[in-house]
Amino acid sequence: MATRADIENLIARTSLGDRAAFSDLYDATSAKLFGICLRVLNNRAEAEDALQDVYMRIWQKAGRYTAGTYSPMTWLITLARNLAIDRLRARKAPAKDIDEMYDLRDSAPNPEMALVAKSEMGRISGCLDELEKDRADAVRGAYLDGETYQDLAARYKVPVNTMRTWLRRSLIKLKDCLSR
Amino acid sequence: MNDPDDTERDDAALAAEFALHLLDAAERAAFERRLTVEPELQALVREWDEGFVGLADSVAPVKPPRRLKSAINNRLHGAETSRTEAPLWLRWRLGIGGFALVALVGLAVLMGNFWTPEQPGPTYRAEVAAEDGSLRVLASLDASQETLQVKHVAGRAPDGRVLELWLIAKDATAPVSLGVIAEDGTTALTVPETLRDKFAEAVLAISDEPPGGSPTGAPTGTVLAVGPVTLL
Repeated sequence: MATRADIENLIARTSLGDRAAFSDLYDATSAKLFGICLRVLNNRAEAEDALQDVYMRIWQKAGRYTAGTYSPMTWLITLARNLAIDRLRARKAPAKDIDEMYDLRDSAPNPEMALVAKSEMGRISGCLDELEKDRADAVRGAYLDGETYQDLAARYKVPVNTMRTWLRRSLIKLKDCLSR
Repeated sequence: MNDPDDTERDDAALAAEFALHLLDAAERAAFERRLTVEPELQALVREWDEGFVGLADSVAPVKPPRRLKSAINNRLHGAETSRTEAPLWLRWRLGIGGFALVALVGLAVLMGNFWTPEQPGPTYRAEVAAEDGSLRVLASLDASQETLQVKHVAGRAPDGRVLELWLIAKDATAPVSLGVIAEDGTTALTVPETLRDKFAEAVLAISDEPPGGSPTGAPTGTVLAVGPVTLL
């Protein structure tokens, strides 16, 4: 069972060049990280390429992970999401297709990973509920779908600057709630 | 205008925008420059990353295709063993490589004092076993190196499939078939002359294949068992 301590241990051993640990880390976390890449990129081939980059990066950067600052799954998920978004931005024309996205979900969540993911469950959902629905959706869109201010402005039919002002105000509220 | 509270709030919002990748390239670059020298800003980004990560809970895990793992291993460690694209067999090799090396180093230390090359050719053996022990065979190559005796101990191929034994030589670019093995008793496989000197530091593996063995000359089925070759 991959607990937080297990994942930390695997990252630490990976940083020492332990290939077996890296392999175990991959087995324990790749489904979650692949899910993230798929969600952001919404394209299977690109998500596969992104996932390769993610684990290359994990291998190279494991030494820079310090237990006690980031939780291990936050570190891994953030790294995966950032690389996927970099790819998305490089691609420019986003191809969002909800139907395809659901087709991609062809395997059940691995119960072990589900457990790790649950332990990371933050207060964010509760705090987002305190925002107006549009604003909360905008934050989710930016995080999960890599939407830009331009995307969001188009979606809510407001000028980009207005969108930014809205969202920044919402982010401050969110921050107040998260630090409570 | 420059109320410290405002600055703090601005930075908090900016850090959130950074974490969400909402900043444009110039803003992002400027923020990254500040990040390198402002630990408070790093802490803000970390807080946001920890806060936002809860949103990832809604993302269902999806098992990546198995070839990705070998592709990654290949990119990281395997470039020197293969230039082909993420072959299936490389995964066996990588999985077992560390163990095989340890076993061989151990043996070399043990044998070093009394093994001399003037003796008849070395004899090799391998235990080829599934991780869970559901399939297990013992293979041994005699001193003449012409025949590989493969003793079946446990396990079967899935219905309608056969067990095929593969040799993955050290520095090989692909596995080579040694033949189909019986699911009971001992199978004697004739080792082609070209393969007789390939057993040192090799890995043996068993895959399930269609009756008669792989039609392509390369493994096509699931790898059921692997084992490093050791020197006797």
